[in-house]
Amino acid sequence: MRASAPLTESKAPSIPLLQRAFQNHSFVALLYILPSLILLVFVVGYPIFYTILLSFYSTPAISPDRYWVGLSNYTDLLRSRTFWEATKNTLYWTIPSTFGAFLLGVPAALALNQTLLGRSLLRSVFLIPWVISTVAAAYVWRWLYHSDFGLINGYLMAWGVSQRPLLFLDSTDLVIPSLVLVNVWKTFPFVMVMTLAGLQAVPSELLEAASIDGAGTVRRFFAVTLPYLRNVFLITFLLLFISNLEHFTIPWLMTGGGPARSSQIWVIDIYTTAFRGLAFGLASAYSTLVFGIVLLFAILYVRLLTRREGVEG
Amino acid sequence: MKLLSMRTSRRGSGLDTTIGWRILSWIVIALLLLFTVVPLAWMLSTSIKSQVAAMQQPPRWIPEVVTWDSYLKILDPRQEGGQRFLRYFWNSLVVSIATTLLSISVTIPAAYAFSRFRFHGRNALLLVILMRNMFPAVIFLIPLFLVMRTAGLVDRHASLIVTYMTFGLPLSIWLLKGYYDNIPRDLEEAAQVDGATQFGAFLRVTLPLSAPGIVAAAIYIFIQAWNEYLYALTFLNSDRRLTLPVGLQAYFSEFITDWPGLMASSFIMSIPVVMLFLILQRFFVQALTEGALKS
Repeated sequence: MRASAPLTESKAPSIPLLQRAFQNHSFVALLYILPSLILLVFVVGYPIFYTILLSFYSTPAISPDRYWVGLSNYTDLLRSRTFWEATKNTLYWTIPSTFGAFLLGVPAALALNQTLLGRSLLRSVFLIPWVISTVAAAYVWRWLYHSDFGLINGYLMAWGVSQRPLLFLDSTDLVIPSLVLVNVWKTFPFVMVMTLAGLQAVPSELLEAASIDGAGTVRRFFAVTLPYLRNVFLITFLLLFISNLEHFTIPWLMTGGGPARSSQIWVIDIYTTAFRGLAFGLASAYSTLVFGIVLLFAILYVRLLTRREGVEG
Repeated sequence: MKLLSMRTSRRGSGLDTTIGWRILSWIVIALLLLFTVVPLAWMLSTSIKSQVAAMQQPPRWIPEVVTWDSYLKILDPRQEGGQRFLRYFWNSLVVSIATTLLSISVTIPAAYAFSRFRFHGRNALLLVILMRNMFPAVIFLIPLFLVMRTAGLVDRHASLIVTYMTFGLPLSIWLLKGYYDNIPRDLEEAAQVDGATQFGAFLRVTLPLSAPGIVAAAIYIFIQAWNEYLYALTFLNSDRRLTLPVGLQAYFSEFITDWPGLMASSFIMSIPVVMLFLILQRFFVQALTEGALKS
């Protein structure tokens, strides 16, 4: 009896309270967002926190213990020659990959934009490399590059371009350019689609006006079309640059970082440090460093987007 | 409507005045088409060759003897090799479909809330979600691996599904939010006047109107999950649990590389995503560009 009295008492006001809670937008919104939020906290938030934390510890491979070492993982890393080699390789991989995709993707979009015949069919075909698994792409290209039985060396020798097979993936000079070509094959369709979308935003009246004023094709492109594409280009460039900076699969499956670490880029270095060397602490410091660099570009991307929003709104 | 869009896009280029430019663009298209198609065609060509024919130099596009052995070997459930390949395929299918369904059902209410409600921290939260895919996968790899190990999820498909669910989150939320922003609130209110609850109004009015967005987001999520390699490589270790991208490696590194077999497997692996993409590409291309460009 005594127990039930306060219970009924509290139950009475709780119904309007609940109703009020459901009328409160913040509360309902929270309910709707909660599943996504939990997922993000568990899979994104906590790992970032944990990586940064772990980067201050030494984690010997043989024992489950870890020891606080302060910043020494960072100093070890920045003093090691391998880190700077990997940095050089990463830039050598990222920058040509990104520009290469633009070099093919933008002309593809401009050319497609003026053909009406079979445009959507062509667009689909161009997008296939982008849609298929990077794993399939890596295997196909490894086979194309094969020094003894590959298609490319086969033609080079049959046409007399080269006397002996080129070691696309086994020479320290050729390996990164060869990998970059695969990446360009895989990503130029992305630049193409984005540019095509950007081209739809160019007002045709402006182009007509420019043409009446006597501007030629090239002039019109630079004076009217390009300014409209500027934002699309910037955003696409950043997105692609970031994703190339943290790319793993193509070099991993085609060379494993070799020969002689000449295609060892950051992410591969981190992966091998962690899962081959079992140095989780050091690898975490490495990750945190790369994370910081990527974050700079990510912030730039978000600022670009919100600036656009500001202009439109 | 269609005529109009064709007209604007034709004018939109502003380049179609001279014959010279037209020829130039066809040259550009032809060269890029060659670059795009040769590797894909070579994959197919190799897959119907015997091991010996594949190693013939100079290269032949069409083998003297066409053989389907490589396909039979990976697709025949009576053989041990076929069983393995089909199991990887099945694992990929389970993981990708589960990821897609769960991800969409988490995304819809979130996108709806971001569109309809104004609440504290809304913009900050949106920005964080938008930035999710900017972070390098490796930064999550070590801690997630350790978390999954503690939770006993290593070598289970659940570890991949949970991780993959967050990949599509930013794009789906942005995309669907865009749809909900464009669906007038009056429509829902009208349904509510007719006696539906708010949730009922959402189910009967808003949800069907956003179907194209849901389809686009679902394809995107499925393709990402189907193709993912790094997490699958890290989280799974027993052969019977592997998904296709990691499975192929385990499958072929045991022998001297069987190139026709590897090409046949790569081809089979590409079929589901390419088919999905081709059938629904209108939605997909829209998702891709709007997700990145519109805010």
